[in-house]
Amino acid sequence: MPGYERAPVSAELKVVTTDRAERTPQEQIEAAKEAAGASGLAHEAAPDTMMLSGNRKEVLEATVKVMEAALNAGANAIEVKVETEGDADRFQ
Amino acid sequence: MTGLTQTAPVSPIRKRPATTWSPGKVGESDRRPDGIPKVTGEFEYSSDLWMDGMLWGATLRSPHPHANIRSIDTSEAERMAGVYAVLTHEDVPGRKVYGMEIPDQPVLAWEKVRYQGEPVAIVAADHPETARRALEKIHVEYEVLEPLADAEAAMREDAPNLHLSGNVLKRVHVRHGDVAGSSADVLVTGEYEIGMQDQAFLGPESGLAVPDGRGGIDLYISTQWLHIDQDQVAKSLGMDQDQVRLTLSGVGGAFGGREDLSMQIHACMLALHTERPVKMVYNREESFFGHVHRHPAKMRYEHGATNEGKLVYVKARLVFDGGAYASSSNAVCLNAATFACGPYDVPNAEIESHMLYTNNPPCGAMRGFGAVQACFAHESQMDRLAEELGMDPVELRVKNAIEPGMKFPFGQEVPHPAPVREILERVKVMPMPEEEGLTGRDLRELPGGVSNVTHGEDVKRGVGYAVGFKNVGFSAGFDDYSTARVTLSVEGGEPLVRVHTAAAEVGQGGVMVQAQIARTELGVEKVAVLPADTSVGSAGSTSASRQTYMTGGAVKMACEAVRDRVLDLVREELGEKPGDLSIEDGSIVSDEREIVSLAYLLDRREIEETVEFHHKETRPLDENGQGDAHLQFAFAAHRAVVEVDVELGLVRVVEIATAQDVGKIMNPQALEGQIEGGIAQGLGLALMEEIQVNEGKVQNASFTDYLTPTILDMPPVRMEILELADPEAPYGLKGVGEPPTISSTPAIIAALRDATGRELTRIPVKPEQIAGVSEKLRDEILQQQDSAGYSEIGRLDERREH
Repeated sequence: MPGYERAPVSAELKVVTTDRAERTPQEQIEAAKEAAGASGLAHEAAPDTMMLSGNRKEVLEATVKVMEAALNAGANAIEVKVETEGDADRFQ
Repeated sequence: MTGLTQTAPVSPIRKRPATTWSPGKVGESDRRPDGIPKVTGEFEYSSDLWMDGMLWGATLRSPHPHANIRSIDTSEAERMAGVYAVLTHEDVPGRKVYGMEIPDQPVLAWEKVRYQGEPVAIVAADHPETARRALEKIHVEYEVLEPLADAEAAMREDAPNLHLSGNVLKRVHVRHGDVAGSSADVLVTGEYEIGMQDQAFLGPESGLAVPDGRGGIDLYISTQWLHIDQDQVAKSLGMDQDQVRLTLSGVGGAFGGREDLSMQIHACMLALHTERPVKMVYNREESFFGHVHRHPAKMRYEHGATNEGKLVYVKARLVFDGGAYASSSNAVCLNAATFACGPYDVPNAEIESHMLYTNNPPCGAMRGFGAVQACFAHESQMDRLAEELGMDPVELRVKNAIEPGMKFPFGQEVPHPAPVREILERVKVMPMPEEEGLTGRDLRELPGGVSNVTHGEDVKRGVGYAVGFKNVGFSAGFDDYSTARVTLSVEGGEPLVRVHTAAAEVGQGGVMVQAQIARTELGVEKVAVLPADTSVGSAGSTSASRQTYMTGGAVKMACEAVRDRVLDLVREELGEKPGDLSIEDGSIVSDEREIVSLAYLLDRREIEETVEFHHKETRPLDENGQGDAHLQFAFAAHRAVVEVDVELGLVRVVEIATAQDVGKIMNPQALEGQIEGGIAQGLGLALMEEIQVNEGKVQNASFTDYLTPTILDMPPVRMEILELADPEAPYGLKGVGEPPTISSTPAIIAALRDATGRELTRIPVKPEQIAGVSEKLRDEILQQQDSAGYSEIGRLDERREH
C-alpha cells in the first residue's frame, strides 16, 4: 500500500556489532549513524538500525557509505533491506 | 487464545447498524442513517466496543519534551495483580518505527524521547484503573535535555540535531517569473503567525484488537484510512498484511487527526502478547498528546503592486513547526508553497516553504492543511495593500482574481471552473445583517455573552472579506485511487444493491452519498452500504476533500459496470436491441416501456463488480517548484461581520456570508453541514482555538482550557452555492469539506481590524491584542494569575511529572 508523499525507495540497515573489534559495539553503531546522518536521508529505526529514504540512486549510494562506515568501525555485519513503493516509477 | 467463541465485538449499548436504507438520489437531501442514533446516544463509537474477556490497554508517556532514556524498569508493574503485560520497544516484533510518509516515529521510544507525551511503555490489565496504576509502577530514568522548541531556532546550524539527518524535514522553493527584476509602485510587508490548532474531535482515540487464534489479528478502529493503518501495523507486528484485518468502528470526528496511528500497534501488540482482546481508549487529556495538530507557522510576506492595484510580485518565507515527527508534514509544506500567493494572478513570485523538526508536539493533517496558514497571511497582505492603495479590499481582490487558462505561480494551468471573481462579487452584494441597537439586547447577542461584561458601550462593528482555495485529492504524483465493490441481487423479491468500500465515514456523510449514487446509477431503491474494512481494496483517506470525488467516483464506476452487465443480460436473454435500455425504479426500461423487472431478470443471480477509480495523473514539483501538482481546486469566499467590545477585547461574530463553488450539489443538507462546520472551525482558529505550548510542554490539554466555539459563538451563515461542473469529475462535483475553513478565519480577522484599527497579525487573536494591551502588561497580569491560581494545585504540566 503506497502512502502519500512517501519516498520511492527506502533502505533499512541493521548493524550487527561485535565486542571483539577495536571499537565498542556502541561506537560501531554510532559510526554507521553518523554516515547515515550525513546522507541527509536518514532516520533512526531501532537502537541499532537506521532507515534511508529517498530516490533510488541516492539511497543506494548512501547505503554503501553507511555499510563502509560500519565495517570500518569493526561491525561484524550489516543487514540491509531495500524496499520500493508501489508507485515509485512515477517519481523518477 | 482461550475461551473465545465470538469473532466480532459486541456493544453493551446497541449495535451500529450495518445496513442502511434511505431513498435519496444524487442531488437530494437524505436523512442520515447515523443521525438519530448519534443524537440520542445510541450510536456505537469505537470507545463503546466491548468483548467478553477483554483486557484494557494503557500507555506510559514521557513527561519531558526532550530527554535521553537511561533505563526502563517494568518489574514492579509486571508483579501487580491483574496486569497481564508490560511491553516496551524491545517487544515490538517488527519495524520499530512508523509513519505515513517517513517512518521516523518510534512505536515505543528506546534511547530518546522527542516530545512530551511520547509513548514509552504499554500495559494490559483486567481493569482500566489497574492499567493506569500499573503505569505508575513503571520506572523510567530520564536524562532531561533542553527542548528545541522553536522552528526558526531549529534551522540554525548550531542547533542540536533531533534526527540523524538534521532538523530540516522539507523545503519547497517556488520560483516564478522574475521577482528581482520586477518593479512595483507600492509594496507592503507583513509578518504573520498562526498558533497550533487542534482537531478537537469529540470521540477520543480508541479501538479493540482481537487475536484470531491463528497468529493474525482483527482490529476494530476509528481511523481515516484503514489500509494505511493496516500497512503500518503489519510492518510493526512483523506480519503479512492479510494477517492484519481492520474494520472501521464508529468515528467521533477526525478532521485529519486520525490519519496517523495512535493506539493501533499498541493494542495489537498487547492482544497478541496476552492472546486476549485488548481495548484502548484515550481520555481527553491523553487525546491531546495522542494525535497530531495543525502546524503553527511564521510567515513573512512582501507584496508589490502597481498604483492601479495590479499585483506585480509576491515574496514569501513560510516556516512551519512540524514537531517531533514527520506525519504528513511533507504534504503540508508543499501545499503551503503552492497556495502561498492565494487565488490571484501573480506574474512573479518567490516562495520558500520550510518544515522543521522541533521538540513540540508532532503536527500533521488538519482540515485545509497548508492552505489555512497561507490564506491568513496572503489575505492579510491583500487588506494591507488595499489600504495602502486606498482601494476597496474586494475590488483589489477582484482585480487580481485568477481565471481559467492563467497559470498559478507553481506553473500549473488554472482549470475551469475557477470562479474567484464571481464568488467575491457574490459575497460583496449579499444583504448585510441589520444593525440593531446595542442597548437592551439579550446578553447572548453582545460580545462576552452571558458573562454580562458589556451592555453595548464601546462596541463597534466591523466587516471583513477573504477568499481562499484548496486542492482536492492527493497531489504531486501520488497514484490516488479508491476501490468499490457493488453487488446487485434480489432479496425478499426486491432488488438490492450492496456497496462495499473501505472509505471511512468520519461524520461527513459518505455512507449517504454512496447509497445515493447507487440508487441513481442502478435505479434501485434498496441500497445497503456495508461496513468499511480491509477485505476490499483501499479507498484512500477520508481527507483532502477527496472522498466523494474518489470513492463516489469508484461507486459510480462500479455501478456502471454492473448496469452494463444487466443490460447485456437483457439483450442476450430477451433479445432486446442495444443502445436504448436503462434501469428505472427496479425495472429495465426501453422508450419508457417496461421490458422486465430486475427481480424477474436476476432471480437468484448476483451481479458483482469491483473497480478501482484513479484520478488523473499529477506531477511532483521540480526544483523550481513548478509542476502540475494538483488534481482539482475548490474555491470559497467569506464575508464576516463582527461586533467588538474594543475596551475589553471581546468579540461577537454577527454573521458569516459565503459563496462557494461545489461543482455539483450531491446532498444539499450534507453540504450545508460541511459549510457551517468548516466555518465554525475557522472561527475557532480566528478567536480561541490554540494548543498553548511552552518550551515543548502543552499547557491546556483539556476542553476546559482549550476553547472551541459553542452554538452561542456560532453566527448565522448566509450562503450561496455555485454549481459549475468540473468536466473531469464524477457528476462534475468538487470537494467541499475544506474551503469553508480556509478563508473564514482571515475574513473574521479582517473584520476585527476594521472594527479596532489594530494590525492583529497573530491568530488566534486574544482579547488583550484586540484591546491593545501591551505584551509587558499582559505578562504581568498572567504572572499574577499564575501565582494566585496554579500555586495551589500545581501547574498542569508540572502535575504530570512524577
